[in-house]
Amino acid sequence: MRNVWLIARREYLERVRTRAFLISTLLIPLLMGGGIIASVVSTGKAKAGSHITIVSRDQRLAADLQDELQHGKNSQMTVDVISPGNSTTKSTLDSMLADKQIDGYLWITPADNPDARPSISYTPRSAGDIATRDAITSALRTVLMRERLSHRGMVPRDVDSLMEPVKIDTTQAGKNADITSSFVAIYVLFFLMYMVILLYGMNVARSIIEEKTSRVFEVLLATIKPEEMMAGKVIGVGSVGLTQVIVWLFTAVLLTSGSWISAIAGEKVHVSLSPMQIIFFVVYFLLGYLLYSSIAAALGAMVNSEQELQQFNMILVTPLAACMFALAPVVSNPSGVTARVISLIPFCTPLIMYLRISLATPPAWEIALSILLMVLSIYGVLWVASRIYRVGILMYGKRPNLPEILRWLKYS
Amino acid sequence: MAIVSLQEVCKTYDTKVAVDNLSFRIEQGSMFGLLGPNGSGKTSSIRMMIGMTVPDSGSVTLFDQPFDRKNLHRVGYLPEERGLYKKMKVIDQLIFLGQLHGLETTKATKRAHAWCERMEITEAIPKKTEELSKGMQQKIQFIAALLHEPELIIMDEPFSGLDPVNATLLQDILLDLNRQGRTVLFSTHRMDQVEKLCDTICLIHHGRSVLSGPMQEIKSRYPKNRVAMVFEGDASFLNHPAVESAKNYNGMAEIKLRDGADAQDMLAEAIAKARITRFEVMEPTLEEIFIETVGGRVDA
Repeated sequence: MRNVWLIARREYLERVRTRAFLISTLLIPLLMGGGIIASVVSTGKAKAGSHITIVSRDQRLAADLQDELQHGKNSQMTVDVISPGNSTTKSTLDSMLADKQIDGYLWITPADNPDARPSISYTPRSAGDIATRDAITSALRTVLMRERLSHRGMVPRDVDSLMEPVKIDTTQAGKNADITSSFVAIYVLFFLMYMVILLYGMNVARSIIEEKTSRVFEVLLATIKPEEMMAGKVIGVGSVGLTQVIVWLFTAVLLTSGSWISAIAGEKVHVSLSPMQIIFFVVYFLLGYLLYSSIAAALGAMVNSEQELQQFNMILVTPLAACMFALAPVVSNPSGVTARVISLIPFCTPLIMYLRISLATPPAWEIALSILLMVLSIYGVLWVASRIYRVGILMYGKRPNLPEILRWLKYS
Repeated sequence: MAIVSLQEVCKTYDTKVAVDNLSFRIEQGSMFGLLGPNGSGKTSSIRMMIGMTVPDSGSVTLFDQPFDRKNLHRVGYLPEERGLYKKMKVIDQLIFLGQLHGLETTKATKRAHAWCERMEITEAIPKKTEELSKGMQQKIQFIAALLHEPELIIMDEPFSGLDPVNATLLQDILLDLNRQGRTVLFSTHRMDQVEKLCDTICLIHHGRSVLSGPMQEIKSRYPKNRVAMVFEGDASFLNHPAVESAKNYNGMAEIKLRDGADAQDMLAEAIAKARITRFEVMEPTLEEIFIETVGGRVDA
């Protein structure tokens, strides 16, 4: 046990001291925070700077629209009105567009029949400026609706109260968050899980190859057993991963629970991580890591260089990548048969069962079963991997083929 | 007491026979040479001694006991393929390897510093291994094998890649350790390098022992029929009937005598004709003995 501890400690300290670890540990929360701020800021103030021109014969409609766009709930645009336009207006506006004086112009041709809708065309400077177009569309809808309603004799105040948008508070069982933003959190955690399992699994393989190419293991094997070496490695690298995950989750909790975020977002965004989400993230990360890193350890022992390892990467990546395809059916129906079956396949459990736990609480026995199945598979994979490791670590040169590997399993 | 003993040990890797019915004993306090060309099974034998691999048949004992991992702390091993963690600091590396051999941190630190001083590489202590020269890395590796004061020191090709000054330094240290009662096992294909050091040898070829026993006894089995001499003057004495063949390099001659011939006869004639500054009847070298025993080309 002392040897396992020594190997694990060396592995941990050497990795944690590297600049790469420091950077990735700090960079991910920075990106998370930046992403949240960016999305909050961009949804809040996207249309601030737009400057458009409205051309219409109907002065009242144009003025209404101007008012709505300049002082409405969701926009603060600068709006000029030309009413009515003449034959040269269009070419003038086109040249203004080209000179970047305006961001677009709106041409409204009122219908002959007062009950029919006017025909409207919008010419933007950049076709990609969707935010401005959306703002105009919603302002137009409001203005036209208001106009039509007052046509039919409604008082403006009634019109406003009638057009107040409906607000839905969504609550999940036992969770208190609005559904869109917790969806974001769930996706982020899903991809984070995918990333850390793969990353740290590969790190185990790399670390073994490093010892193999530098021949350090010859010195190590003179005092310790290959099994101890492998266990130490898996534990050491895994602890590094765990450290990083805990730092990330801690930052995520700080980022999402802080009052500053609602200060910026104006009470609109609630991203929250429940304690369940955090605990199960750690549990499934550890299980997933153990499963994949044991396979990686065997792969690392079999090959001679990182280049050779690349060819085997598929073995690690494929099951995890397959979970991506399962994402859609599981998200749309987290308690459906498909989701339940996939989440019990040990290679998919860390991703899919975790996703299910985040989305809707699955029955406790399913969670327990998934953990049991994973522990059993980890045991089996470790048994095979340690045998491959023991023989493979002493082999150089030719890469073993499958029959040879099967023969290794029989060596005692 | 036999520090190491192999009895009829066989080891086959897939299809290649690495060790074939090999037996030898290494007595306590001896300087033992396990000699043979590349691929003759030296490293395979060592790996079985320290439990890295298990023999297919036969038995290995270490410190007079059946193999037990606990005894590995009494063994220091310098592998042929040197290996250190490239990115690790020398001192951390030595402490780590010392701890793996059962040392406490403080003890390991103290000894690491002392050894670095003795090996004249104190400036390397705070550096990373990858910043060091090959020779320095060798010395670090050497220290790593000795830090825990092992009773059995196994050196696989210890002098390869070392300059003569450092090779001598290493030899002196090993001789010193041997005087303290430690057993040293050399494994090498450079027989000339350990000829003076070893008191007992085992020559192996294709995994089989071809010659083993105390060095002097083995050497005495072979006739002393070679003469090296340095002379000035007439070289015609080289045609003396006792001479089988001779090479003369401007007054430095290597002479092979006929079986049973007496070197004194030739010396008498030589004195009469030339001025002799050196005359030495030489023991056969291990390499010659090996080649004669194996009888054929040695692909070293």
